[in-house]
Amino acid sequence: MEIRPILSTLRRHKVTATLVILEIALTCAIVCNAIFLIGQRLDHIDLPSGVAESELMQIIPVGIGKQADSHARATADLAALRQIPGVTGATMANQLPFGNQSWNSSIRLSPDQKLPSLNSTIYYGQDVVRIYGLDLIAGRNFQDDEYKWWDDTAGDDSLSPHVGIVTQALARKLFPNENPLGKTIWQGTNNIQIIGVVRTLTRPNLRDVESNGYSIIMPLRVTMGNFAGFVLRSRPQDRARVLDEAVATLRKQDPRRVFTEKRTYDEIRKKFFAGDRSMTVLLATVCAALLIVTALGIVGLGSFWVAQRRRQIGVRRALGARRIDIVRYFQTENFLLATIGIALGMVLAYGINLLLMVHYELPRLPFIYLPAGAALLWLLGQAAVLGPALRAASVPPVVATRG
Amino acid sequence: MLKMSHLAKVYRTEVVETYALRDFNINVKEGEFVAVTGPSGSGKTTFLTIAGLLETFTGGEYHLDGVEVSKLDDNARSRIRNEKIGFIFQAFNLIPDLNVFDNVEVPLRYRGMKAAERKQRIMDALERVGLASRAKHYPAELSGGQQQRVAIARALAGSPRLLLADEPTGNLDTQMARGVMELLEEIHREGATIVMVTHDPELAARAQRNVHVIDGQVVDLAEDPRFHAASHLADTAS
Repeated sequence: MEIRPILSTLRRHKVTATLVILEIALTCAIVCNAIFLIGQRLDHIDLPSGVAESELMQIIPVGIGKQADSHARATADLAALRQIPGVTGATMANQLPFGNQSWNSSIRLSPDQKLPSLNSTIYYGQDVVRIYGLDLIAGRNFQDDEYKWWDDTAGDDSLSPHVGIVTQALARKLFPNENPLGKTIWQGTNNIQIIGVVRTLTRPNLRDVESNGYSIIMPLRVTMGNFAGFVLRSRPQDRARVLDEAVATLRKQDPRRVFTEKRTYDEIRKKFFAGDRSMTVLLATVCAALLIVTALGIVGLGSFWVAQRRRQIGVRRALGARRIDIVRYFQTENFLLATIGIALGMVLAYGINLLLMVHYELPRLPFIYLPAGAALLWLLGQAAVLGPALRAASVPPVVATRG
Repeated sequence: MLKMSHLAKVYRTEVVETYALRDFNINVKEGEFVAVTGPSGSGKTTFLTIAGLLETFTGGEYHLDGVEVSKLDDNARSRIRNEKIGFIFQAFNLIPDLNVFDNVEVPLRYRGMKAAERKQRIMDALERVGLASRAKHYPAELSGGQQQRVAIARALAGSPRLLLADEPTGNLDTQMARGVMELLEEIHREGATIVMVTHDPELAARAQRNVHVIDGQVVDLAEDPRFHAASHLADTAS
């Protein structure tokens, strides 16, 4: 390897070498952080909801005028919806994961606890565990006689149901290394005994990785007047038809209704993560542009050096260099420039990450991103310099005598 | 050592064929110091580039150290250039970004030689040309004569079987040229085979044997009618 003479040559071309090193360093730093951010966003987008996403639909109605006898109307609406061919479940529920409408409450382990243990989202609706397709991993589901109407209990905690089903994340947080079944938690002055645990039921609005999974399901029926929406379940291929028929059925039940949302669960997820997806595309575009600009910079410098060193290359060939030796020379030179740039870039990457951590509450950049970024830039550099290196190798040795 | 028989070199364009060498015959024996002379455009440099395997030829045969070179591939030609031939160029052709030591090292690196042996050979070669103390200097910091001495050291460091010199004093003043020529003579006395292309009749006279090239052919000056015509005119004028 001609490392020492190459370094000696680069020392005599400090300005151009420094520019390429800085370009590589900056690209390394930005690309490492951008890829990290993209990874974070993709993890976020892929966050599991816990529900049977491919089978669920939601219709949110708004009534015009006074909605009298809401319990009977809700019961009749659901009965009509269940008659639609292909519907395997229908309920009225206050919210869905990633649905943006979020009902939350502070949870304590005793009524006199001053500060709550955590904040949880509370899901209401009949037969939510079955219709949402939740995975009940411990305990039991609600029995019919445990359900009450939400508006019958409003303002009086003593009338609220005293049983609930919690998520595994919430159970682990409140009762680490203990069986949560039979344990009591407090929502305000209402004591709730945990009768079941579901694997996952994510909140409608995300907060942080730890608390995204804190959810409680209560056996409370809700109606249109409680800002609830219809949640339907069918086979994936039936959803479009079922949605259309469901809206027609509901209009037939009560023509004085408008529907603000009529959507499949896929659409709910897509809308919820649209911002993340746009940011991912933007970051990926910035990364690609930076990498292309860096590659073009390397190609440009390589071509310039080949033109500038044409006679020198001829002399090397005359003195016994094979074509592969010339290619190797340019590749080694690029490798050295890239290595110095990458080393600087790694320091810069951590610096940028620290800034992002301080100002945007991002987590620390995991170490693995640095060697991954380095490998990417090494490969990019080698690929970019290959063209100029092959042109250099085609310089004939006779150039040494004829210029 | 170097034998060319009926060698031809033709440069072809779409409209014309130009013979740089035609029926070119030369035989240089081991240990000889041969000067190749001739007017500009006669084919001297073409002969040297073919002799040094820097260029291919169009027809004929060329044996270098017993090897017929026309069928060799690029890698084999590179290996022969590296191991058997030392080049001394008119323009020195040192690499300006490398110091004297690194310049002399260039052909040795392509031979895959160990660092310790390379260093020994480089310092021996620089001692021989009287520039060991300038090993860390860059070409731009040396005079023309010193640069040509470095080029000679570079050619000698690999212990080549054949030294090819293309107008080695062409870019030097008289005093420096004399020094370089004395060095070449000394190298020849030590047993090297040298083929030197030159315009300078004085330098050519210091070689063991002169070969004259006119219109791409080796000629015998005593019998060539073109030379006679020229010398007859010169006699008449005087």
